[in-house]
Amino acid sequence: MTPLDIAPPQLAVLYGLCLLPWLLLHLIGLRLSRDIVVSILRMSVQLALVGFYLKALFGLNEPWLNGLWIGVMLVVADLSILQRAGLKIRYFMLSTFAAIALGTLFSTFYLVILVIQPTHYYDARYIVPLAGMILGNCLQSNVIALERFYSGLRKNEQEYTTFLLLGATRWEAVQPYYRAAIKAALGPTIAGMSTMGLVSLPGMMTGQILGGSEPWLAVKYQIAIMICIFASTTLACIVNLKLSLRHAFNAFDVLKDEVMDTR
Amino acid sequence: MMVNPNAPMTQIINAIIRFDQATVTVYGKTILSGISFTLGKGEKAVLCGKSGSGKSTVLKTVLGLQSLSAGAVYFHEQRLDAATIQTIRNHTAYIGQEPVLGADTVREALLLPFRFKAHRDAKPTDAQIKAVLAQLCLSADLLSQESSRVSGGEKQRIALARGLLLGKNLYLLDEITSALDAESKQAVFDVFANPGLTVLSVSHDPEWIARCDKVLELDEGCLLQEMPHDSA
Repeated sequence: MTPLDIAPPQLAVLYGLCLLPWLLLHLIGLRLSRDIVVSILRMSVQLALVGFYLKALFGLNEPWLNGLWIGVMLVVADLSILQRAGLKIRYFMLSTFAAIALGTLFSTFYLVILVIQPTHYYDARYIVPLAGMILGNCLQSNVIALERFYSGLRKNEQEYTTFLLLGATRWEAVQPYYRAAIKAALGPTIAGMSTMGLVSLPGMMTGQILGGSEPWLAVKYQIAIMICIFASTTLACIVNLKLSLRHAFNAFDVLKDEVMDTR
Repeated sequence: MMVNPNAPMTQIINAIIRFDQATVTVYGKTILSGISFTLGKGEKAVLCGKSGSGKSTVLKTVLGLQSLSAGAVYFHEQRLDAATIQTIRNHTAYIGQEPVLGADTVREALLLPFRFKAHRDAKPTDAQIKAVLAQLCLSADLLSQESSRVSGGEKQRIALARGLLLGKNLYLLDEITSALDAESKQAVFDVFANPGLTVLSVSHDPEWIARCDKVLELDEGCLLQEMPHDSA
C-alpha cells in the first residue's frame, strides 16, 4: 500500500488548524502569538532541512556519514540537556555526552545488530531514525534527572552536609537525591509503556501504519523501540549523574556554587 | 603525619585542633583574617563575638565546609585537606542550633550514621541507646516519635546523643544551650564535664562560657584575644 501524499493545498489547510488554538488562547487572555508563530516556523524549517538531509543520507548510506550525523545529534542533545537542566556547560559537557552516547549507541546497535539484523548494520534507514528516537527520549529523561538531582541537593544542602558529617562518603550522602532523580526521570517512560495502546497509539506505530506497514509489524517495531528507550534512558541517566559527581563538588565534597547556571 | 616545623613543640604535643594564620575569603569579603589558636586534648573553648564576626565559620572550617584562602588548619597535626577530611569528620561531632536529623523517626535518626560504611560495624544496642538518652534527660518513648515533631532543644540533644553513640571525642557546638531548659542544660554540662571530650563551641550563654577553659574573642574575622575563662 502506497501512503497518500499531502499536496501543498492540503498542507495549507493543515496549517489553518493552528488558528483554532491561537484563537482560543487569545480568548482566555494568553498572548502567545509570537511564541506560537516562532515554534511553528522553526518546526517546519527544521523538519524540511531534516527531510533534505535524510534523503541525501539514505542515498549515500556511508558509515562515516551516518556516524557523523549521529555525532551531531548527540552534541546538540548534550548542549540542550544542560541548558534545560540549568547547569553550566563547561562542567558537565563531557560527562553528559559520554552518558547519552553510551545509552543511545548501546540500545541502537543492540536493536539493529541483534534484533532487526539488516544486511548492513550501519544502514542509515534503520540506524538514523532509531538513534534519533532513542536519543530524543534520552534527552528528556536526562534533563529531568540532572535538574531534580542538583535542585534536590541544593534544596537539602543541610541534610546532605549532615550525612557527610555523620561519616557518609560523597556517594553515600547523595543517595537519597540520586534515587529520587532517577525515579523521576524514568517515571514518564514507565508510565508511557504501561498505558501504550490504551490511551494513545504511539507515533512511530502510527507512522508505520500510515506508511503502509502491516499493523503487526508496526506493533513489533513499537515494542522494540519502547524497550530500547527504557534501557537507554536508564543507562544514560544512571551514568550521567554518576559521572557528573566528579565535577560538581570540591575536594571536601561540598557542592560548588558555580556549577548551577543562575541566568 | 605532616608536622608544621614552625609550631612550638609544647603546642604540638597535645594539640587536637590548631589554626595557623587561617584566612577565609568569600566573594572578596574576608570572613576570617589570619587567625591562630590551639585547642589541646580535653580542652573546652568557646568562641565569642558579635553576630557576623566569623564564629560559625571557624567551626565550618574545621569540617571542611568552608575552604581556606590562606593559612592552614591541623587536626592532630595532620593538615586539613582532601586526604584527611574523612578522618577529621569521623572523629568530630557537629551540633548546630537547629540540627537536621535526616530520618523519619528518632530511632532511625540515631541509627542513621551506622548505615554508612564508616560506622557499619559499630551499631549500638538498644540498651546503649536508652542509656545515652537517659544521660541527656530524654525519654525512651521519644524513639518511636517522628523527627518532625520533636522540639529544637530535643533535636540538639538527639544530635548530641548521636555523637556520643559514635564515640566521638571532638565536639563542635553552635549555641548548644540556646533551646534548653535548666535540667537539660545541666545534663549537657555533665556530659562535657568528661575530661576526655574536647570542645570548640560558639555561645553567648554566660553559664556555658564560665565552664569553658578558654575564651576566644572574635571581631570582624580577627581573633582579638585568647584567654582562660577566669580572666574573661
